[in-house]
Amino acid sequence: MRLLVWLPLLVLALPFTSFLLLAVVAPLRRAGRVAGAVGIAAIAASLGGALLIWNEGFRHTATWAWLPGDGGPMATVGLLVDPLANAMLVLVTLVSFLVQVYSLAYLADEPAPALGRYYTYQSLFAFSMLGLVLSPGFLQMFVFWELVGLCSYLLIGYWYQRPAAARAAVKAFWITKLGDLGFIIGIVMLWAATGTFEFATLFAKAQAHALAIPALGTIMFLIYLGAVGKSAQFPLHVWLPDAMEGPTPVSALIHAATMVTAGVYMVTRAQPLFALVPDVLALIGWVGAFTALLAATMACVENDIKRVLAYSTVSQLGYMMAAAGAGAAEAGFFHLLTHGLFKALLFLGAGAVIHAVGSNDIFRMGGLFRAMPQTGLVFLVGTLALAGVPPLAGFFSKEAVLGGVWAAHMTWPFVMLALTAFLTAFYMFRVVFTAFFGPATAAGHAHEPAWAMRGPLWLLAALTVLLGLRLAAGGGEAHGPAWLAPLSVGLALAGVALAWAMYQRGALDPRRVAAAFPLSVLDALARRRYGLDALYDGLYRGFVLALSRLVGWIDRYLVDGVLNVASAWTLRGGDALRRIQSGVPQDYVFGVAFGVLFLVVWARLWMR
Amino acid sequence: MLPAPLAAGVLELALGAVLLLVFVLNLFARGEDRRWLAGTALGGVLVVGALSLVVTPAPAGPGGMFVQDGLAIFAKRLFLGATVIGLLAGLGARPASGRRAGEYHLLLLTSLLGMLVLASARDLILLFVAFEVMSIPLYVLAGFLKRDATAVEASLKFFLVGSVSSAVLAYGLSFVYGAARSTDLAKVAQAFSTAEPLLLLGLLAALAGFAFKIAAFPFHMWVPDTYEAASTPFVAWLSVTPKAAGFVVLFRVYFEGMGERADAWMPIAAGLATVTIVAGNLMALPQQNTKRLLAYSGVAHIGYMLVGFAAASAAGTAMILFYLVAYVFSNMGAFLVVEAVARAEGSEATAALRGLAQRSPLLALAMLLFLLSLGGIPFVAGFWAKLYVFWAAAAAGLYWLVLVGAVLTVVALFYYLLVAKRMYIEAPERPGRIQLSAPLALALVLCALGVVALGVYPKPVVMAALRVATPLF
Repeated sequence: MRLLVWLPLLVLALPFTSFLLLAVVAPLRRAGRVAGAVGIAAIAASLGGALLIWNEGFRHTATWAWLPGDGGPMATVGLLVDPLANAMLVLVTLVSFLVQVYSLAYLADEPAPALGRYYTYQSLFAFSMLGLVLSPGFLQMFVFWELVGLCSYLLIGYWYQRPAAARAAVKAFWITKLGDLGFIIGIVMLWAATGTFEFATLFAKAQAHALAIPALGTIMFLIYLGAVGKSAQFPLHVWLPDAMEGPTPVSALIHAATMVTAGVYMVTRAQPLFALVPDVLALIGWVGAFTALLAATMACVENDIKRVLAYSTVSQLGYMMAAAGAGAAEAGFFHLLTHGLFKALLFLGAGAVIHAVGSNDIFRMGGLFRAMPQTGLVFLVGTLALAGVPPLAGFFSKEAVLGGVWAAHMTWPFVMLALTAFLTAFYMFRVVFTAFFGPATAAGHAHEPAWAMRGPLWLLAALTVLLGLRLAAGGGEAHGPAWLAPLSVGLALAGVALAWAMYQRGALDPRRVAAAFPLSVLDALARRRYGLDALYDGLYRGFVLALSRLVGWIDRYLVDGVLNVASAWTLRGGDALRRIQSGVPQDYVFGVAFGVLFLVVWARLWMR
Repeated sequence: MLPAPLAAGVLELALGAVLLLVFVLNLFARGEDRRWLAGTALGGVLVVGALSLVVTPAPAGPGGMFVQDGLAIFAKRLFLGATVIGLLAGLGARPASGRRAGEYHLLLLTSLLGMLVLASARDLILLFVAFEVMSIPLYVLAGFLKRDATAVEASLKFFLVGSVSSAVLAYGLSFVYGAARSTDLAKVAQAFSTAEPLLLLGLLAALAGFAFKIAAFPFHMWVPDTYEAASTPFVAWLSVTPKAAGFVVLFRVYFEGMGERADAWMPIAAGLATVTIVAGNLMALPQQNTKRLLAYSGVAHIGYMLVGFAAASAAGTAMILFYLVAYVFSNMGAFLVVEAVARAEGSEATAALRGLAQRSPLLALAMLLFLLSLGGIPFVAGFWAKLYVFWAAAAAGLYWLVLVGAVLTVVALFYYLLVAKRMYIEAPERPGRIQLSAPLALALVLCALGVVALGVYPKPVVMAALRVATPLF
């Protein structure tokens, strides 16, 4: 058991070691595939450690004082290992491992130095996310939180020569940063009020009703803002679809295990604190449900396979947050885990398709099931899981979320989420029918990908099915009223049926459906992404740029003017003072004499 | 087991034995390459250093003159650690390993012996003697390159100013004795509460002598000339250890046993700190020689440490001790990079560092770390050092001093980053890696590790410093 104390530390240290090695030893990094092997070996060992910890159901908290201050440490660092962290460790290391293996084939055509850079970032990304998961306090969590943001910036902008990728990376960075601003203000306010960043202390106080801070509502709202940015909640969700500009395996990583899950994880981790402020909790629930519905409508009109998946991630994150807001954080976290499996599967499957077809547009695909039956099969498994069809894993977690929201008497969020379930099945099968079963529009050169890519796909598909079967065998304890399961299955099947009618059978013309009155408005709005991107763009141009021009003017003419004068005088002062260093020893002795005089006069003037 | 009075001085006795060993071995040394002799001296210091890790505070020696308390042990560990780095860096190169290796090490170790005694001295006579034992070998070492006219000149200037300062110090101490009627520092502290004007005058004059040793403005004039002319590994050591010794003496004479009355030194120290910070930083600005630049920036750092001194509190004292530890790593490291580049390029100008990042990325990275630490950037050692002395001064109500220090930090960053710019942005004058000898590389690695470790996890050293500083008040 003693060994297990060090195991979490090892799980954390391995990707970091790999990062250090690749970052410092340039020849290793430039070797490309060798760098990949180093990264994969480290994360594989990490995965092994995480599985061992998870299997033992290990719990441990270790903190070390970090910044000393007057009367006790100001902040601590450490490791917090509990069931929540254990499950997350397995998800993060598993998805990172599979993504890194998959990338070896997916990015096989990249030049070796670029590939080495890719694996350097990957290792740092895994380390940052693991550090976040193991954080025993808000401060450490924030440090890793920012590192995660930095890594996703680096990986989204991996093809930095492409303007779109560079823009998307900057957008992701800034939009999430907006939320992080709230997060850091929130945790510093919390620290000022309670004197600690540590979860254990804070939760103990919360339990003892000793956390009667007047501004607690504001503080928790600010902390929640961090999650809004990271987990792409309305209205800060706009960065996630753009983040598709990175390589597809990176999307899989960001969407399934790292980055966006950080927000949900944080809200789950801090559940005892959020529970103290019902208003904020209700807000989280409403925003979550609204985000779910909004993103689902946008997914229905997208033609880019990766963007459809991106909106579906936003939508599913809304589910998780809604559950957290309803006080059923464990249901939301459960959904996070199952979603992590099948979303990684879907993205990696989409990557295989894109790799084969050379396009992201689903209407340029078609009939792919015949060309690549294995990829088609696993993609279908992922789609069924996401649509919430039993007995796959997604069904159970989605039902748990719906049950939790219903139990919290949040009727309208429940209706929104139910509608989202219907739309989810519809848009996912829209993709499946169009890309895999429709008439073959691709030039017929599509083929199955290499084993390094197929292996992770099969593994994830198997896990999705096995997890579902295991949950089904366990009876799938009832999460809500008896009508909930039939309702959610019914909604999913209705969505599938509608997609079948519109895109497979051709019984309904999608264009005529979209033109019918209430839908036509919605269709137009969704296609314009509800004007949010345009709004931000306008705000940015009109407001931020105008402000920055003003600041620029002040900076150029006022601040710089003052500074230039000051620095000129400083330099001149330095030059003048240098002259007393004449090199003549007599002057040096005078210096000593002058110094004694100075001390005596000064003492006479000021000493009490 | 040694008898009690000897047990307290076990480190000094051990170092004395090393001295004798080096002396005897030197008699039998032949040939140009005397690396083995340098290695022996280094090994001896390592042994004494290891010994210092196990010594515990002991009761005061005869008449309370010699005390082995927490402060003394902390300071001795610092001296020995810095000496290990300094000797390591000189290993295998002239002058430390050449024909005159024995002479070099005898002088250096004698000075070190003076420092060790000084850290424990609680009596005016012993203090003065130890002070001179520390100082006189330094004059000789500064002019060790005797065929180099500038070195001889620098050494002579150093000696001249040093003698004047020693005279002022001795004169001041005589007043102190006259007023307190005792050479025991505890009695001096008691007498201080009566505010005898002659005692005050004596202590002020003594302060001038100590200020020379730590190189506060305007007693710093010897610093740039000496640093520029003497051999760099020696300068690296000279720039930190005697200064640390000077601060320990300041604590002993001006704080220990003074209690509340220690506040009286606040305005003097604050004034000295202000002029030292301002002058040091401003004079560093126009420098083109890296060693002179580091010399003046070192003067500025003494000013920052005096900010902690001005706080006249246990926290301020502890933070100076922490600052000194951080300073050992960052300043010695920076000098050693200069040495490494100078061995390859034959130049100590900042221009020699051009394009270092392209030629030897790791060496450039190390230099950047040292510069950032000296500049006080977060998560390297120097940041906490500055933050903590400022913190201590703010706690003592010296907000204006903190403001002055913070503003001048910007000036300091300017000239440090100018060096960084030469390394990272400017193109190299010629290609090729800089070859490092193994001992020098090891010394650099030690310094870099220290800077990073203290930057990431400063707590153990801060806590240790607080533990030894608290009993003084």
